[in-house]
Amino acid sequence: MLPLARRLEALLFISSRPIAAHRLAEACRCAEEEAETALDALRAEYAAGEHGIELREVAGGFTFAVAEECAEDVRRFTGAEKPDELTPALLETLAVVAYLEPVTRAEIAEVRGVSSEYALGALEERGLVEQQGRADTPGAPVLYGTGERFLKLFGLTSRDDLPPLEEFALGADDVEEIRARLHANAERRAQ
Amino acid sequence: MRADAAAVAAPPVALELDLDVFDGPFDLLVTLILRDEIDIWEVRVSRIIAEYVVHLADTGEFDLDATSQFVVLVAALLEMKSRLLLEEEVEEELEDLDPDEAARQLLERLVRYSQFRNASGALRTAWDAHSARLYRNAPVPAELLRRRVPEGALSPSALAEALSPLLREPPVPDTSHLADLAVSLVKELRRLRLILEDAGEFTFAAVAPRDRLERAVTFFALLELHSSGEAHLRQTRHFGDIVVRRIAAPVPVAG
Repeated sequence: MLPLARRLEALLFISSRPIAAHRLAEACRCAEEEAETALDALRAEYAAGEHGIELREVAGGFTFAVAEECAEDVRRFTGAEKPDELTPALLETLAVVAYLEPVTRAEIAEVRGVSSEYALGALEERGLVEQQGRADTPGAPVLYGTGERFLKLFGLTSRDDLPPLEEFALGADDVEEIRARLHANAERRAQ
Repeated sequence: MRADAAAVAAPPVALELDLDVFDGPFDLLVTLILRDEIDIWEVRVSRIIAEYVVHLADTGEFDLDATSQFVVLVAALLEMKSRLLLEEEVEEELEDLDPDEAARQLLERLVRYSQFRNASGALRTAWDAHSARLYRNAPVPAELLRRRVPEGALSPSALAEALSPLLREPPVPDTSHLADLAVSLVKELRRLRLILEDAGEFTFAAVAPRDRLERAVTFFALLELHSSGEAHLRQTRHFGDIVVRRIAAPVPVAG
């Protein structure tokens, strides 16, 4: 193994949170590119399937994670449970927060068309959504956003990893179909 | 509703109301509104507040608990009423909208909403793939988080030096710039009434203390004498002196 890779391995071993490449480089007094090369080597080493842990890039940095095949044993040993499943309403609310953050409760309700008080509370309780200060608008409503736990649980390096929202736009055909249906409804009501 | 819980939990507010739609104790009114037996539309909350202020003035007692309770209930009534007003407005807006416009707006919202719904599908896939992953999360031992001071760099006396300022009594803060309010409104009223009785007439400049705050209290006392009909106030020009004269006194108006 590269000497630098070994040193980085030691830093990653001792840290309980993902560390950004530039911070690793700083600690080892090397260039960020050098650190990245060494990290790649380290990742390849751990990816070979010979270790119980693997190196992952998540939530803005690098950190060790338990290899998938060993997760069962670790759960049995530590008693750690899998996170509870997310209902469609929770996921939908989470999507609104993740794409629009920082966002107020009223803005979320506006997009979803229903009050999202319960969903937000549940997401906050699970640590997927957190309060990030208050908006500079009348009433100073609380602003919500996602944090490190969100990125970890969804395997994202940063929010930039989210696929662009435009990718999920309805196709022209779908829009046309809805328009026709709404129009027919409106006509019927008007009569 | 919160008002319901408040009405049950707290002591009753002793206020008799005489309104267009209701005559009786305030608590009963709140109960009837909550049970939909009285339409809150018909109740003028400002009248209730006015009555309560009069009630406070009449009894001369200020019970903080009862007043807080009253404020909570009135706030609940106002909230209910404002909600009703807002609902009405929304309905009107929808009625005003022509069907095409309504459909266009609805379409816009649906298109926007469906983006997020589809995005939540992608999040579901990511969740299924990653949420069970176990990351390293053992906390860093505390001693590793601290930078160590090189051995011998600090002498034991440094500890004493650091501690001694903490043990010293802090100086008493200087409050000389904060003037005590020497005159209370009640005392000032009593003083002015005595002067009024003795002299029948006096000027503000003659009786007012030098201190600005005390002067203000004297001025308030004058207003009180005026509103209670005990004295007549007269000021011939702006910022001029104020002549205060006992109303009962048969002395003619002076300058």
